[in-house]
Amino acid sequence: MTPISKPWTATRWTSMRYETRVAWQLRLILLPSVLLLLAFVIYPAVYSVYLSLTNEALTGAAALKPRFVGTRNYVRLFNDAKFWNSLLVTLIFVVGSAIIGQFVLGLVSAVLLRRPLRLKPIFNSIILLPNAVPEVVAGFLWISMLAGGERATLSRIVAFFGIQPTDWLQTFPLTMIIIVNTWRGIATAMILLTAGLSAVSEEVYEAARMDGATPRQMFTRITLPLIMPTIFLYMLVSTVSTIAIFGFVYALTRGGPGGATELISIYIYNQSFTAFQLGYGSAVAVVALGFSLLIGIIYVRALKVEV
Amino acid sequence: MAGPNLRPPGRRNRAELGAYATLSLISAFCAIPFFWVLLASIDGNASLFLQWPRELTIDNYLRIFLVEDGTRWVLNSLFVVGTATAIVMVLAGLGGYALSRTRAWWKRPFLYTILLIRVLPTTALIVPLYKVLLTANNGLGSMLRAVFGNEMARSMLRYVGFIDGYLGLILVLATMQLPLALWIMKTFFDSVPRDYEEAALMDGATLVQRIRRVLIPLALPGLGAAGLFAFISAWGDFLLPLILLSSPELQTLPLGLFRAFLRVNTIDYGFLAALAFVYLLPAVIAFGFARRFLVQTFSGGVKG
Repeated sequence: MTPISKPWTATRWTSMRYETRVAWQLRLILLPSVLLLLAFVIYPAVYSVYLSLTNEALTGAAALKPRFVGTRNYVRLFNDAKFWNSLLVTLIFVVGSAIIGQFVLGLVSAVLLRRPLRLKPIFNSIILLPNAVPEVVAGFLWISMLAGGERATLSRIVAFFGIQPTDWLQTFPLTMIIIVNTWRGIATAMILLTAGLSAVSEEVYEAARMDGATPRQMFTRITLPLIMPTIFLYMLVSTVSTIAIFGFVYALTRGGPGGATELISIYIYNQSFTAFQLGYGSAVAVVALGFSLLIGIIYVRALKVEV
Repeated sequence: MAGPNLRPPGRRNRAELGAYATLSLISAFCAIPFFWVLLASIDGNASLFLQWPRELTIDNYLRIFLVEDGTRWVLNSLFVVGTATAIVMVLAGLGGYALSRTRAWWKRPFLYTILLIRVLPTTALIVPLYKVLLTANNGLGSMLRAVFGNEMARSMLRYVGFIDGYLGLILVLATMQLPLALWIMKTFFDSVPRDYEEAALMDGATLVQRIRRVLIPLALPGLGAAGLFAFISAWGDFLLPLILLSSPELQTLPLGLFRAFLRVNTIDYGFLAALAFVYLLPAVIAFGFARRFLVQTFSGGVKG
């Protein structure tokens, strides 16, 4: 703790004892959090590696007597077209919604909302709103938006541009869940990038303006390079949080049609709790955990957290 | 981009118009889905499609609470998420303080671990977690049955069970919100000067007195932020209740809504929309309060 004030440092002995006591107090009040994280995060994460090496199941013979099967689950995984499909779907989903959709719309919103517009608070609130929506409600709202037939909202909007109505979730399933996730996440990107933009000082722009820079030049030569670190961190944060998405996609499509929206999270769920193959589901989960940890480590290193 | 001052007026207006147009489009994209849920919930003839209600009614809302099990879903959700939030606030308040004040060697590794835990997807942890909870639940069940007999043990497990019991869901929900909350509180206490505590120390206050009289009053804004984010995230979670709960008595709002939607043959969009709105409202209100903390939260991700 802090350098001890006078009465306590009277002798070296009491000061030592005091420091030790405080150190133990601090450990004690941190302990409950540590126990919960150990029991429900760390241990399961380690345990998943073990489970992935067994034929653990919820039903059948393997449920009673799970056996150690070595790397058999991973070999199966490697030859499982549905697994590779789920990886590809997840990749397209992450790139389409987090890296492109949320980022572009979030950046545009953040840049435009720097202006002293009169309606700024209203725009701000509306853009933040989808971020608060519970996962199932998000899925539910968009079931209405994306319904089939010409009376559905999206069909009516595109009819304006002369596009034929269709059953959107059947025809363009992956594109649709990318749109829904973009909708949910514009706010996150906007908030982060606003914070990044506000760190760029006005003087830099003044100087550029004096030199006759156009707005476009100022954006590409000054703003973008200066907020590059924020953008990089946003990409990492949004990538890991997008890999974790399950709820609204499950509510919307349950991975269908025909695996077109079967994200890795949904594949894990289906393997483990629909097909009851806990061991195999764990192997898929270990892959997802590995990816996330890898990105997490890049993130922690890039962050250079001062603790 | 860039400050709009020092610009010729004509160009400035055009730029402003463009900004308004673009922002309006983005806002429309964000807002349109909400219209349907609002209008359908007060429409006597609601359908899956956006339409003006021809017959205004509050029947849909009444049905949630009078005909269906809505009251139970709402109370269960409030109880589970409320308790989890309270646990998060207490533990993160204490733990965040310890993390801020300690100078032990484990401080840095611990904080890195918390950041890494935050990136682990719950979906990838759910299988081993389920297995862990199942084992714990079976152990607890046989213990309770041995002591209290079958009947009593069954009703007790409803509360303290890890699978299909309140306790398991509450603890897991709380744990998932804990890393962010610990981080918020640690950063918060970093900005609280130590002078206050030292003054209390000089007066001979014990740890408990220090926490009660000095730290809790100082920590309230941070605890508010940590609690709001924990609440919003736990309230919106779908995966954990989906996997951990099965008894109808324990159903929470996300499950009630999801299952009501699966009753394909008797689908009633007015009722579903009203239920979705009831479920949505607390999250939006909490989010309204949480707004001013949003940027700080990301410091857990951005600035450190």
